[in-house]
Amino acid sequence: MKTKLKKLYFNIIKFPSYIIFHPFDGYDELKRYKKGKPWVATLFIMLFAFFRIFVYVNESIIINNRNPHNLNTIQEIFTVLLLIFLFVIGNWSITTLMEGKGNMKEIFMVTGYSLFPVLIIGFPAVILSNYLTKEEMGIYTLLMGSGYALTGIMLFFGILNIHEYGLLKTILTFLFTVVAMLFMIFLGLLFFDLIQQFIAFIISIYDELRLRY
Amino acid sequence: MKRLFIILLLFMTTPLLLGSSYNYSFYGDVIHSAPGMTFATYFNAQTLETPLGSPEYFVVYNNDIYMIDSERGLFVIDETFKLKSHHDSFELSEAYKEKTGQTEALTLKTPFGLDVKPQGIYLADSGNARIIRLNFDFKVEAVYSNPQDPTFESVAFFPIKITVEKTGRMYVISRQVYEGIVELSESGEFNRFTGVNPLRLTPLEIFRRSMMTEVQLAKLRRFLPTEYTSVSINENSFIYATSKPTDNNVSNTIQLINPKGVDVIKRNGYHGVQGEIHYIENMNNYVINGPSMLVDIDYTKGGIFSVLDQKRSRIFTYDSEGNLLYINGDEGQQSDKFKQAVAIGYHGDDLIVLDRGSKTFIVYRLTEFGTLVNQAVAFHDDGRFEEAHDIWIELLKKNANYEIAYNGIGKHLLREGKYKEAMANFKLGHDKYYYSKAFKEYRNNILRANFGYIFAGVIVVVAGSIGLVIYKKRKKGESLLYED
Repeated sequence: MKTKLKKLYFNIIKFPSYIIFHPFDGYDELKRYKKGKPWVATLFIMLFAFFRIFVYVNESIIINNRNPHNLNTIQEIFTVLLLIFLFVIGNWSITTLMEGKGNMKEIFMVTGYSLFPVLIIGFPAVILSNYLTKEEMGIYTLLMGSGYALTGIMLFFGILNIHEYGLLKTILTFLFTVVAMLFMIFLGLLFFDLIQQFIAFIISIYDELRLRY
Repeated sequence: MKRLFIILLLFMTTPLLLGSSYNYSFYGDVIHSAPGMTFATYFNAQTLETPLGSPEYFVVYNNDIYMIDSERGLFVIDETFKLKSHHDSFELSEAYKEKTGQTEALTLKTPFGLDVKPQGIYLADSGNARIIRLNFDFKVEAVYSNPQDPTFESVAFFPIKITVEKTGRMYVISRQVYEGIVELSESGEFNRFTGVNPLRLTPLEIFRRSMMTEVQLAKLRRFLPTEYTSVSINENSFIYATSKPTDNNVSNTIQLINPKGVDVIKRNGYHGVQGEIHYIENMNNYVINGPSMLVDIDYTKGGIFSVLDQKRSRIFTYDSEGNLLYINGDEGQQSDKFKQAVAIGYHGDDLIVLDRGSKTFIVYRLTEFGTLVNQAVAFHDDGRFEEAHDIWIELLKKNANYEIAYNGIGKHLLREGKYKEAMANFKLGHDKYYYSKAFKEYRNNILRANFGYIFAGVIVVVAGSIGLVIYKKRKKGESLLYED
């Protein structure tokens, strides 16, 4: 039991925080020694979806302008899932063409692991925000900002390491990934629109036949 | 039978009575509200027993209504809404005759504005490009024209609205003058422009313009500050002004210009002080699109002011903090509705709307709800929070959707030192600033009361962690003072 807990602690807390402070060694170990676990990445993504809902509801009312009646948990969860999905697919398709060494599983793990700072800083920060006055709210914004910044840095170094890229090439990859994501969104919309029209066409033919005979 | 008929009628008119009484919630939703004002009476050419041409503007002075008609001159209506007098040509006073040597009576040509102050009646005789000051015998005392400023070399002076400060300084809106409100001294000399509508270009626009040639720039639609539509000066010489909405000044259409010429209106309400919050932007054949077209503004006691939206025929009433108190008015042809409103004015507590289309004055009277709101705001303005608190509670019973009432309650509780209750009220009223204040006091009180425990806790934690380190080192047999 104790070893199990220790292992859990290592996987969820210790190893991700090791990556924050030693990005090159950390991601090297993630890739080479299989220290990264897909289930940890999945857990982090799920927690991030939960985090967004948590912020929506529990942020201090001094800075929270969201209407609680408009909260849609399904939408929040799917937004996160869709973004991660698009990023992983987009990045994989770009890096495959650009001689990246990472595979899709590793890209997924990097994406998941890079959410760690937002979660570890964000949850306490949101709780803390309820004990701050308007003048002190700067502390909260600083914490949240640093959380997201660290996530960005982790994601950047993760992609850089697992594909064994240089700095410039990584930046280029990110730009192309964004383009790829937009392209996929466009294709998705196009697909649904065409399917809709196709269905409408079939239905109208059916109606025509039904009314005639 | 009669009772049955009345009950039936009540059911039939319910949807009409519900009408357009709405307000905007903190989250921008349109919510039902009790009406602040309702139709009381009307008067028009028939009841005044005189034909009207094209009524343009009116002001209320000493309970008399002075109305300017661009075709038929000046009308004075008394407080029972009966015609007192009508003037379309004005004799010269003796003093003026002596000064100028003229003897002929003056007539007006398409006058659009007027103001009445203790110094006299000021008429904006727009067609003749002059301002006429009359005494209360309707004799001409002075004529002001031709302000000396380079602006008027290219654009003719065409005064459409005028308001006069207690010292006699005149503030005039001239058509197609974009520099601001024209300020004339009491002797009619040009002083300055005041209250210029600021223009802001987006960075993208500046970049785009820097890439263009002179010829291209000349062809571009000109960026102009908007024209003012109405001015009204209060007893502290602050000018309430409305202006036409454009792309970049929708939130700036209502201004309170201080004597220095700076807009100092408070925008502490849930939304901007701009009339309608939600509207459709694009061209549309089915609904009225675009922001409110505010054409007139008037104020009453306690810093409350109302603006008139000509586009949708609605009146928005705000308090001095910029809270939207109530919205009323309805578009239509019936006698309690208006179609082409041009002016509003407070007549005591009643609000009079002048409709140019139907040549009718419509009198709106405060409902019980509206009276209480105005009272509460006035108490609040005076700093009498306790009286205001009781009225706000009463108001919440009449209109549970009235979110700003919670802030009024909260402010009293905050002063009473009931921080927790104040917090709950500010939370409901979404007043973040005061919530934060109440919360700060509440938190500090708790900290102060439990300071001993908190301090002890900190000591225990620190001592405990040091002790743990010592214990661990001891157990391992290491030295405490240095590492070996």
